[in-house]
Amino acid sequence: MSLSKSLVYGFGVAVLILFVVGFIVGAIGSKFTPNEPFLDKPEVHLAPQLIYDPFLSETHLNTDRDTQSKENETHGDSAKKEHHGLPNHFVITNTLISSWIATLLLIILLVIGARGGRSDREPTGLYNIIEAIISTMYGFVEGVAGENARKFFPLFATIFFFVLVNAWLGLIPIFQSLSTWDTPGAFFRTEGHVTGHLLRPAGTDLNMPLALAIVSFFFVEFWGIKTLGFGYFSKFFRFGALLKGKIFEGIVDLFVGLLELLSEFIRLVSFTFRLFGNMTAGEILLLITSFLIPFAFSLPFYGLELLVGVIQALIFSALTLVFVTMAIEPHGGEDH
Amino acid sequence: MEGEIAAVITNYKFIGAGLAVGVGMIGPGIGIGMIGSGALNALSRNPEARGPIATNMILAIAFAEALGIYALIIGVILALVA
Repeated sequence: MSLSKSLVYGFGVAVLILFVVGFIVGAIGSKFTPNEPFLDKPEVHLAPQLIYDPFLSETHLNTDRDTQSKENETHGDSAKKEHHGLPNHFVITNTLISSWIATLLLIILLVIGARGGRSDREPTGLYNIIEAIISTMYGFVEGVAGENARKFFPLFATIFFFVLVNAWLGLIPIFQSLSTWDTPGAFFRTEGHVTGHLLRPAGTDLNMPLALAIVSFFFVEFWGIKTLGFGYFSKFFRFGALLKGKIFEGIVDLFVGLLELLSEFIRLVSFTFRLFGNMTAGEILLLITSFLIPFAFSLPFYGLELLVGVIQALIFSALTLVFVTMAIEPHGGEDH
Repeated sequence: MEGEIAAVITNYKFIGAGLAVGVGMIGPGIGIGMIGSGALNALSRNPEARGPIATNMILAIAFAEALGIYALIIGVILALVA
């Protein structure tokens, strides 16, 4: 009893000390000290950075870009170079590596977890956790999709876990601190300049949300066409009323169908930017808070980002599920 | 002369970024406030439905917040890339 109490006090004192030290060392405290600030200004990177170019078969050394960006002093110029710095063939970027790590992690976790579920043994701890999560999610899918839950569940769960693990990977403390240096093969500080992060969470790259959005779009159309056949397109091209001779209603119907068609494609954009924006904003938020007052001030925001990861994963997968459910519903456009 | 024009454009760029974020956050702010007030009204009428109300409130807030984050991304792109 008293031990846990003293533990709590000790933790509180430690956080308080970190807060005070962080305040002095951080951006606000540095202003009161006459010398140079203790920390470098944080840099926000929007575009992913190149790690390895398989067609050049050597580690990318952007030393010339680095020296160039030092010559022009404004931030905007260096960011512009970085934006146009990626070549237009397939390269390995830091976000791509990060998404591979996420995939590997998921496969390993789920395979090990599923092993614990053999019927001749007692289920192990990991299996119990995974089963609890999966059955909760299955209940959610059943509530939305009804009898089709079994068909849609793999898509839902894949998107959910992939987005979630990618969002949470970026919160591991060392994850974003690994850097690439302009000496080949050196990933820790030995000598030379920093040329970029070795790893960045994949959600902060516009391409990952876009790819997921295309997957979701594809499955919506695929299941819609598979279930309703050609009738699926009658939602978009509504000539029914026009052919019956009702001119005004026909034109309105045509317009509604076009809007419906347009909204299918606008979904792609909104899916993409919702996830990308949330992940990037989270990264920037953590960067800024740990620059203002290091160590302690960013702790509550890490908690917030844990929550944001779950919510965004749930939103992405649940919206896909809802759109798929809407797509396979037969619609009585011809009746009225 | 060209350098001056570039400097003026750079300055306006930052004003634009600030305006994009500042004005763009008004709508989501109002929206989140309305969602929160609606959820509290529902809670005070029906306190035992706390779980589903809280879940749906957080989901709806995330949707409203996404709009603000679009504005933030536009601001960041304006300030850093464009």
